[in-house]
Amino acid sequence: MTSIFIAVAVLSILALVFGVILGFASKKFKVEGNPIIDQVEALLPQTQCGQCGYPGCRPYAEAIANGDHINKCPPGGTATMEKIAELMGVEQEPLNAEAQSSVKKVAYIREDECIGCTKCIQACPVDAIIGAGKLMHTVIANDCTGCDLCVEPCPVDCIDMIPVETTLQNWDWKLNTIPVKVIHSEQEEPAC
Amino acid sequence: MLTLLEQLDKGTLWQSPGGIHPPQLKTLSNQSTIARLPLAHRFVVPVPLVGEQAVLTVAVGDQVLKGQMLTEGTGFTYLPVHAPTSGRVVAIEQHATNHPSSLPTLSCVIEADGQNAWCELIPHSLEQLSKNQILDKIKNAGIAGMGGAAFPTHVKLNPASEINLVIINGVECEPYISSDDRLMRDYSDEILKGIAVIHHLLNPQRIIIAIEDNKPEAAKAMQDAVQRSTLPAGIIRVTVIPTKYPSGGEKQLIQIITGKEVPSGHIPAQLGIVVHNVGTAYAIQEAVYQGKPLIERVVTLTGEQIGQPGNYWLPIGTTINDALQAVSFNPSAAQKVIVGGPMMGYALADLDVPILKGTNCLLAPSAHEIAPDVDEKACIRCGECAVACPALLLPQQLFWHAKAEEYDKAASFNLKDCIECGCCSYVCPSDIPLVEYYRVAKSALKIEAEEKRQAEQAKVRFEARIQRLEDEKNAREAKAKEAAAKRQSNMKSTDKDAVAAAMARIAAKKAQATSSTVSPEAPQTTVDPKKAAVNAAIERAKAKKAAKANTVSRANELDTSSAEVSVDDKQAKIAAAVARAKAKKAAQANTESTVQTPNPAETEVAGTEPTADAVDDKKARVAAAVAKAKAKKLAQAGQTDDSAVEAEPTTDAVDDKKARVAAAVAKAKAKKLAQVGQTDNTAVEAEPTTDAVDDKKARVAAAVAKAKAKKLAQVGQTDNTAVEAEPTTDAVDDKKARIAAAVAKAKAKKMVQASQIDIGEAASQPTVSVESTADIAPDAALTVTADSADLSPEQIKKAKVAAAVAKAKAKQLAKRAEQEEQ
Repeated sequence: MTSIFIAVAVLSILALVFGVILGFASKKFKVEGNPIIDQVEALLPQTQCGQCGYPGCRPYAEAIANGDHINKCPPGGTATMEKIAELMGVEQEPLNAEAQSSVKKVAYIREDECIGCTKCIQACPVDAIIGAGKLMHTVIANDCTGCDLCVEPCPVDCIDMIPVETTLQNWDWKLNTIPVKVIHSEQEEPAC
Repeated sequence: MLTLLEQLDKGTLWQSPGGIHPPQLKTLSNQSTIARLPLAHRFVVPVPLVGEQAVLTVAVGDQVLKGQMLTEGTGFTYLPVHAPTSGRVVAIEQHATNHPSSLPTLSCVIEADGQNAWCELIPHSLEQLSKNQILDKIKNAGIAGMGGAAFPTHVKLNPASEINLVIINGVECEPYISSDDRLMRDYSDEILKGIAVIHHLLNPQRIIIAIEDNKPEAAKAMQDAVQRSTLPAGIIRVTVIPTKYPSGGEKQLIQIITGKEVPSGHIPAQLGIVVHNVGTAYAIQEAVYQGKPLIERVVTLTGEQIGQPGNYWLPIGTTINDALQAVSFNPSAAQKVIVGGPMMGYALADLDVPILKGTNCLLAPSAHEIAPDVDEKACIRCGECAVACPALLLPQQLFWHAKAEEYDKAASFNLKDCIECGCCSYVCPSDIPLVEYYRVAKSALKIEAEEKRQAEQAKVRFEARIQRLEDEKNAREAKAKEAAAKRQSNMKSTDKDAVAAAMARIAAKKAQATSSTVSPEAPQTTVDPKKAAVNAAIERAKAKKAAKANTVSRANELDTSSAEVSVDDKQAKIAAAVARAKAKKAAQANTESTVQTPNPAETEVAGTEPTADAVDDKKARVAAAVAKAKAKKLAQAGQTDDSAVEAEPTTDAVDDKKARVAAAVAKAKAKKLAQVGQTDNTAVEAEPTTDAVDDKKARVAAAVAKAKAKKLAQVGQTDNTAVEAEPTTDAVDDKKARIAAAVAKAKAKKMVQASQIDIGEAASQPTVSVESTADIAPDAALTVTADSADLSPEQIKKAKVAAAVAKAKAKQLAKRAEQEEQ
């Protein structure tokens, strides 16, 4: 009979001890939020363009973490989709929209046509447009993500998306490479 | 175990890994002393920092002197740019630059006047200047590393940590280049003077001049110069190192001299070592002792296609074309011109590019000097490249990943430590241009890093924006709450005031009413006309102001003068507003009439006064509420009236819907409308002037109109097309969509105009209504006074009954008044 009591007592003590350990661990090693969201968000291009149907990159990252399709990010293109597929361990999917051309673009306001309506300022997700009511607006090119969101609201259609100019800073060796091939003239028959 | 310094003094050398021994062809160019070429006519001086760290100090057409600063700027790494000769700035434009991409950069094009006149130079001796002044002089002279990398020298001369060892790099390991060789032979004393400046600034324990053993004359010259120099004995020595490519690389040279390896991602200064090129030492001497900026350098012009190969002083900004022409350049078919040496240089796509501070060699090789480009073959994994690599990387591994565009994997093999020396390409039996792959991979990684940085920045800005919007929303809500609380407290405290004010108003209106009727009370008649006159005057003044405001706003908004178009949603709004105004007037009339009732009671029974007043006030409010309710009805009625007056059949459809919208908007518009009301004439007169509205205003109007046009898309526009019979709107053509939009804009403008004219017409009604209320009011006053006169003698309590009766009558009157107004 006593052996039963001992067994019960031992198990109870063990349960208590493990309970305390687990309780402590759950406090000590508590993870705020879902870390996968941060990882997905880090892969997204942060244009905040909303083309995925979510208001920004983080909401889309949350949606992906909850099982949404990974092919809704045209600015990221196939490369981003592949990275997310790898991270999430899901099948790669073809992009649901035409992937944007890899050439980065920034918004440009034709300033003499701007009427100062501030609509583009309200549309810009990264506050990259400066200006005030009835005064000319302009785009801070360095902060523009090229998301296109300001083009639609403009009542006078004075916003263009222009490709970023290639400078010595962002020049890619590949761009100007002209494939060189040696074409042997007819006189010079290769002496095999 | 010897200390490092002892070993340095002994001349102990270490082995650097890898490296190759390409055939040397320095004899082609190092036989003659450094010469000068005739002054070119045109110089292209790139000013790439303009717009980032610097501004231009010259404009097109300015005369510049030799050595004059062309830019001014701030920033730690900023370097000024100087005019290479005297002349005139003929252009400041985008010009192809000396870079493998040949991309255009902002450049000053200077036309030489042939005088070659210096600007004012301020020579100094070392003792006259503090260290900071010396550094400023070096910075203002625009001195950059002359070895090729062109890193600002003043940064390297002002290190954060202590410097124990300075290495003066005279190694020059590239097979063709001999500019440093010749400089050391011809200007050894000047170089030593420059080294003295470096010694003064950095105060190192040792200075080593490193020279490869293929330049014995240079080593001899420097040795002699060291003997002659005033530097403390034992601190400086010339060390001859074995010839091997790429011993001249900064990190390789440090390894050979000291045996220390600069860790990946670190700079030599962190080991207490700084490396300067001999050319830099020469330029420092020029800048400090003579005040001359860096405007020329020694360039080796070599290769078998050049008639007079050798070393030449070339002003920075000389175009490569000019330089080559001056030395009998004889281009062959498909001639390549290589900037830098054959190992690390790049071929130019365009010869009209300038010599820069880091351009040490121009190589124009003949076909047999440089192997023709051959197709790359498959990598056979021989491992030769790994043996040759001076940075101890695994070139074939990097190559696989770079070729597969797996740049992150290439980065994990320390791609960033590649110095692009070209040893791997040189030894590759498969002729793979390995360095090309690495360059592509490096730039891709750089761009990727930049994108990542931008994404991070965008995220921060996006989050900041969300936060800002949230804050603004909270602030707005708090403000609204506060305002509501304020309003409530005001209401409580001013209740009594309101009663008093109402009483005062009542008195005034009573007087007015009695004066317009044939009043039996003598004293009132004298006061009333006066008050009425004052009121009328105030009213008129307001009307005038309104008229002014109206015409101004009109001038701003309108640019056409067609007054026929009249019906649109705006009109509906106007009508509603007018109706509202009328309702208010009607309410006023009500109060006036109701106000009459207590008067007899007041005069005869003083005790009832407060109650009567209270009742009146309440009544007035009730009446106002009723009137408000009627305003809605009136909105419709008023509108139909208006449209009837203007004979517009199209309004009916619009009215119903618009009236509701109008009711909401009416509040804001009410003021304008009230004002506009009195301005019929002014408005009409203003119309012709509106034709002259300028372009900008038109654009503003256009924008406003565009927004309206969207709203009007369904009704307004079609109506207008019908009314105005504009042919362009019928255009269905896709291309004409823009024109149509423009027309729509114009129409919208017209609508605005028209609606304002309507306002004018419609608003004239309030004046009428004022008259009508004036008519009614006396009636009410008469009847009410009669009634109350009958009742008053009976009882004080009956006054209340009288008030009630008056209330009922007032309502009737209000109705009547409104009907008449309509």
